Parts: sequence; structure tokens; C-alpha cells
Amino acid sequence: MLGYIVRRILATIPVMGVVALFVFSLLYIAPGDPAAVIAGDQATPADVERIRQSLGLDRPFLVRFGEWFFRILQGDMGTSIFTNLPVWTMIRQRIEPTLSLMIVTLILAIVVAVPMGVVAAWKAGSWIDRLIMAFAVFGFSVPVFVVAYILAYVFALELEWLPVQGYTPLSEGLWPWLENLILPAIALGCVYIALIARITRATMLEVLSQDYIKTARAKGMGQSGILFIHALKNAAVPIVTVIGIGIAFLIGGAIVTESVFVIPGLGRLTIDAILRRDYPVIQGVVLLFSFVYVFVNLAVDVLYTLIDPRIRY
Amino acid sequence: MDRRTLLKGMAGAGVLAGTRGFPAPALAQGAAARTLKFVPQANLANFDPIWGTQYVVRNAAALVWDTLYGFDDKLQPQRQMVESEEVTDDGLTWTFKLRQGLKFHDGEPVRAKDAVASLTRWSARDPLGLMLKAIQKELTAVDDRTFKWVLSKPYPKMQLALAKNSTPMAFIMPERIAKTDPFKQIDEYVGSGPMKFVKNEWVPGAKAVFEKNPDYVPRDEPASWLAGGKRMMVDRIEWIIMPDPGTASAALQNGEVDWWENPISDLVPVLRRSRNVAVDIADPLGNIGTFRMNHLHPPFNDVRARRAVLMAMDQEEYMRALVGDDNSLWKPLPGFFTPGTPLYNEEGGEILKGKRDIAGAKKLLAESGYTNQPVTCVVAQDQPITKGQGDVTAELLKRIGMNVDFVATDWGTTGQRRAQKSPPGQGGWAMFHSWHAGSDCINPAVYIAIRAQGDGAWFGWPNVPEVEKEVTAWFDAKNLEEEKAAARRLNKAALDNVVYAPTGFFLTYQAWRKNVAGVGKGPIPFFWGVSKTA
Repeated sequence: MLGYIVRRILATIPVMGVVALFVFSLLYIAPGDPAAVIAGDQATPADVERIRQSLGLDRPFLVRFGEWFFRILQGDMGTSIFTNLPVWTMIRQRIEPTLSLMIVTLILAIVVAVPMGVVAAWKAGSWIDRLIMAFAVFGFSVPVFVVAYILAYVFALELEWLPVQGYTPLSEGLWPWLENLILPAIALGCVYIALIARITRATMLEVLSQDYIKTARAKGMGQSGILFIHALKNAAVPIVTVIGIGIAFLIGGAIVTESVFVIPGLGRLTIDAILRRDYPVIQGVVLLFSFVYVFVNLAVDVLYTLIDPRIRY
Repeated sequence: MDRRTLLKGMAGAGVLAGTRGFPAPALAQGAAARTLKFVPQANLANFDPIWGTQYVVRNAAALVWDTLYGFDDKLQPQRQMVESEEVTDDGLTWTFKLRQGLKFHDGEPVRAKDAVASLTRWSARDPLGLMLKAIQKELTAVDDRTFKWVLSKPYPKMQLALAKNSTPMAFIMPERIAKTDPFKQIDEYVGSGPMKFVKNEWVPGAKAVFEKNPDYVPRDEPASWLAGGKRMMVDRIEWIIMPDPGTASAALQNGEVDWWENPISDLVPVLRRSRNVAVDIADPLGNIGTFRMNHLHPPFNDVRARRAVLMAMDQEEYMRALVGDDNSLWKPLPGFFTPGTPLYNEEGGEILKGKRDIAGAKKLLAESGYTNQPVTCVVAQDQPITKGQGDVTAELLKRIGMNVDFVATDWGTTGQRRAQKSPPGQGGWAMFHSWHAGSDCINPAVYIAIRAQGDGAWFGWPNVPEVEKEVTAWFDAKNLEEEKAAARRLNKAALDNVVYAPTGFFLTYQAWRKNVAGVGKGPIPFFWGVSKTA
């Protein structure tokens, strides 16, 4: 197993290299000019050109890529064109809010969606099943920002239970941290809950029709024991897979959620950087997201072996 | 640690931290009243007011750095850091003396050499600074509080240049910072203004924090825009960046922020209904919408095609697209200067008045030799002002028989594409939309968009010697009457040759909590004199 993990980690290096080349090339051919954005609307064309030169944006592709890649190998992500701050500093400022949002969303989604899926499978065909599946369709269909606005209106503006926006670091207390994350996590988690609930139901239905479940019932085992001990454990591999894949959804959804709820996370950093063509920041963030995604895939593969001892690498 | 201990610890932390819903202790209430939470118009992505000339940077910079002169609300330059000035009879030598007691945030006194270095950096980037630099013989410190500027030609608009609030403003920085290449960013934010910038709390895209400068010595006169005594009534100002207007609106209503610089007009009715929120016009000088044409390539290289657009253009359609049904927010603008300011005039503006002449426009367009080639309209969709104007333009151009190539894009791409001088079919463009703050359109000194010096002009590169002649006449004017006469001729020449097409004059709102007092109107959110009760 250890050898497998080391091999997988080593395999991420060429993957990250390809991602780096891809990201750099995409940005190079994409339209837009950070110099024009920096110069502002009152600048003359000559001003814009001077800024382009000072940023080194007039140099050839290979020279710029070579320099950037060499720096990345040394662990230096460069400096933001706009803020003049190191990219890593900017990412570090933003990791905690995004990570917090993702963790709370993930916990919320698993705690809500897995029991929903199990119950829907258990009561397949009943009104409870239909109700849960109707919610799942709703969760899939309604955009994150619509859910976000409705939640903010009801729970922040009307009921005044929770704040509309902002983020408080965990170091300032558990509740201040959590109260800023509840509404964003629900908004972001809706799609995720729907996805996990559906896959849990489908997998559970398949497992519940297996002979060993009938045997357990014949032996007089209670319903909850059958569902949560025998069935759910055997249905867990596809569920864990979907949870892993869903982290990519979370990263994408976090961009919208962070904008609506004014959470200073990586999603907003990405959007701001794209709109301003802040190339070093875009490159740094995309590389980080790629790394996270590769790492999550690895973690999911390792989890398989814990859930299903038959799986060996 | 076992599970039970962990849960106990978490519950304890929750109880200790969960103070929401309980009255805050008196000390905390006082702290809240001394902190003003402000939602600016845009993200403070950089903080060098010479390198980055966005309005949001200038607005933040006005808190941290001071200027030698400042505009008052009558658009007159007033002394700010300067105690006195002398100009020789031939107008060639200006000698400035700094006020006593001025200190930078690092405790160092403001010296004449700091002003010299700052003006040197500023004059490399600012249009008026460049004019000064072109006639500069010497800019030197005489002693710690005195410096002189020797010119080869009189420059009567000196105080205006040093006071103006168009970007980049002539902010005074310590010499070591001001010596930075003007095309590179500074990374130390030390000024002598009424607030200090808290760099370690700056999260670009999310938050910027300013704290009161206890050493600031305000002038004795009452504050008026950028002039007079800038007395801070709060200890801390937090800028909270909110890209989503819906969230900003909700946060203001909920009391999570105190002042919102630019609520969109769609949300104003909601804010007006909130009993705790006040709404008013932000800046009486407003903004001017612009339809900028490329003078280098067909069809708009022919003045008849440009005039055809003016003949058919209905400014009300443009303004409705921007401000909706609120008639108090817009005015037709048959001219280029900001309404309500001394140089405003309508000379030559008949073409923009009365019933629109579509048939006449079609005829004029045909005379210009237009042969149905695509007209590349570059329209940024992520800016409501450009998007709204762009939609109207697409219809307008189709109505007069043009073949519209509508390029829907974002502001960053527009910024790049409009700098291309190549023909529209080869990556260039035929027209784009923008807007200018009214305070940047009050006279030719600050009005870069009206200039028509060809290659050196703003995007579109109009080359109209007649316009430039009147700009020079305005600079040389000896009194306001001469200035007004030059402005009238300039307005006519710019309209006859269609340097650009003004789409109208429009105002925007600002909104604040009613427990905040002293919010004024102007081109910059002025924080001095603004107070807050808990």
C-alpha cells in the first residue's frame, strides 16, 4: 500500500507539469491585457505600452513560460501583477475561508444526504421516496445563487438569525466562525446533497436486493442494523467515489457562493484574478486546485481499501 | 484528548463566542461606533495612486496621502499642505512653502525633498504633469520646507494641476518611496494623510483597513471636498469589498455595513423602504456616457459617418438603459463639459437635440461611402454601464443601416482590444462604450477624452487640429471669460468633428445607515467629518 501511495504521488508530478503548461498556454492565448486594466480608463495608449513593458508582458511565450516554470520548481509562485503581493501570501490569506466552507458543506451534505438516500431506498416507491427525490431534483435544478439569495433574505434579513455576509476566522471562536458559514454551506450544499442522496438511494436499492440482506432479515436482524451496518457499508464505494468527484463541484460552486456571501476565499480570488488578467495569481490558484483534485482522487482510492478489504493495490 | 473532552471544549467555545443576540458591553459598543464599515465601488486591487489610476485607488489614497492643494466644492484649488506660494512676475518661477508640523506616518517630518520626489514621479504619469515636465527647467528643494519649480514658459494652471482630483492626483510621499519608477508599483504605503493604511490587514478583493493618524494636523478651515481641515471622527475605517450588489444591499439593511458608495438604481427603491437607511445622490458632478469611435478606420474615419451616428442618437434611450425610469438621475447632454460647471455650454449641440433624423443619418452614411462592412462594436458585458449602452447602440446602428458585428466581451478584454490600432477585421475595433466621471470633464486640463492630437490622443485617436487649438487657447486664457469663450469654440469643434459621441449625463446614488452622520456629496467619498453612533 505504501509503495502504491508513493507511486501515485510521484505520478502527480508529470500531471502537474502538463497542467502548468496547459494553464500558462491558455492564459497566453486568451484575450485581455492586465496593463490596460492597471492603467485605468484615463490612460493613453503609450501609458499602457509602458506598463506592458514594465511587467514583461511583451516578451516571447517561451521565455516567460521558462522563467515561470523554473520559479514554480523552486516553490516560488511569483508576485501578483496588481497587488504586488506574493501569490503564495494571497493564497494563504484565502485558504482558511474556502477550506472552512468546503468542510462545513461536506459535513452537512454527508450528514443530510446519506440518511436521505438510505431512507429513500428503504421506502422505495412510497411518498417519502418521492418527496426525497423531488427535493433532489430541486437541489440539482436551482442555481446556487438563487438558493443563496433566498436563504439570505429569509434567515438574515427577515428573521435576523444569521449574518448576510462575511467570514470570521475560527481563531475568533467556534460560533462566530460557524454563523457565517451556515447559509453559504446550505446554499452550496444543495446540489451536493441532491447528488449524494440520489447515488446513495440507487446503490442501496441494488444492495438491498442482494441475498445476504435477505439472509440478515431471515435471521431476524433489525431494520436499522440491516440498513446501516450491512447495506450501507457495502454501498459505500460508489458513494465515496461521488463524494470525491463532488469536491470538484464544491470548488466550482465556492466561486459563486463566496461572491454572494462575501467570503474572502480562493473562489473570489480566482474570479478577481481572471477579470484583471492577473496571470501569476490565476496560474497559482489553478495549480493549487489541480493539486487538490489529484490529492482527493488519491485519498478516495486509499479509502476504497479501508471500506472494502477485497480491494488491493 | 478523548471524544467527550473535545465535545465539552467545543461547546464551551461556542458559549463563550456566541454573543450574537445579547447586548454588547459598553466598551464594544464604543468600539463599533468608532469603526466605519464602507462598501467601495470596486476592489482595491493595488495601492499605488500613481501607478494604478483607477478611481477606487485614488479614493483610498486620499485617506492616506495628502496633497499640496485640494479642490473645494466650488472646484477651486485651495492650499492644503502648502502654507504659501509665490510666483515671479514673469510666471516662470514658483516657490512653495510647506506647512509646519506635517509628519509622515512613520514619524518623519514632511520635507521639501519629499514633495520634489513626489512631483517628479507624478509628472511622469499625469497629463498635466507631463505638460509641466516639458517646460520644466528645475524642480529643487531650497530648504526643508521650501521648494521651487522653475519653468521655461508660464503655466497659469499650476495650482489647478496640483489640486485636481482626476487621476493620478499629485499625492506627496516620502522621498524613498517616491523615487520608485512611476511604471512600477510602490510596496510601502506611508503617507501624511489623516488615516494610516494597515497593510497586514489588507486582503485584496476582500478588505482594506485604515486607522486614524493621531499626528495629523488638520487645517483650520472647515473641510470642503479635498480642501480644509480633514478631521476624522472615527478611529478605524474598514473597506469591505462586495462584488454582488444584492449582498451589499442586504448587508446595509442588516446593519453589517454603514455606507455603500454606489448602490445600483434597481435596488434603490428597496433601500428607500428600509427605515434605517438613507439614500441620496453620490456626486452632483455625475458621469458622462461615451460612444467612442475609431477615427483610423472605415466607417468612422469619415466625419460624415460619425455625424450620422449623432443625428440618429437618442440620448434618452441610452440614459433609460442606465438609470431606468428615475428622471432625476439623468439629463440630455448636447455638449462635452459637465453640466453645472463653469465651462458647460451647448455650442454646436443642435445635432443632438430635437427629433432624431434617421433618414438624414442614412443619407449621410451613404455619402460617407459606407459599403455595409461589419462595424465591430466591442461591448463589455460585465459593466452595467457599458452593457446598457451597447444594447442601445446595436439597435441604433442597425436602424441607420449598419451591419453590426457585436462583440460581447468583458472589461479586461475591452481594455486590451481598444488599444489595437489594426483594422477591425484584424483584431481592431470600430467603437466601444465607456463613461467619464463628471469631475474629469470640467475643463480641458483634466479631460483626456476630448483631446484630439492623433496618436497621442485617447483610444480612437482623433486628429483634429481645430480642437487642439482651442485646448491651447483655454490653457492660455487669462480669465474665466476667456476660458469660457475657448470652451465654447472647443465644444463646437469637438461636436462638428465628433471626437466622440456623448450619450448623456447621469447621476448615481450612495446609501448609508441613519446612525452615520456627515456623509457628503462629491466625486470622492470624503470620510473626514463622517461620524457614527452605536
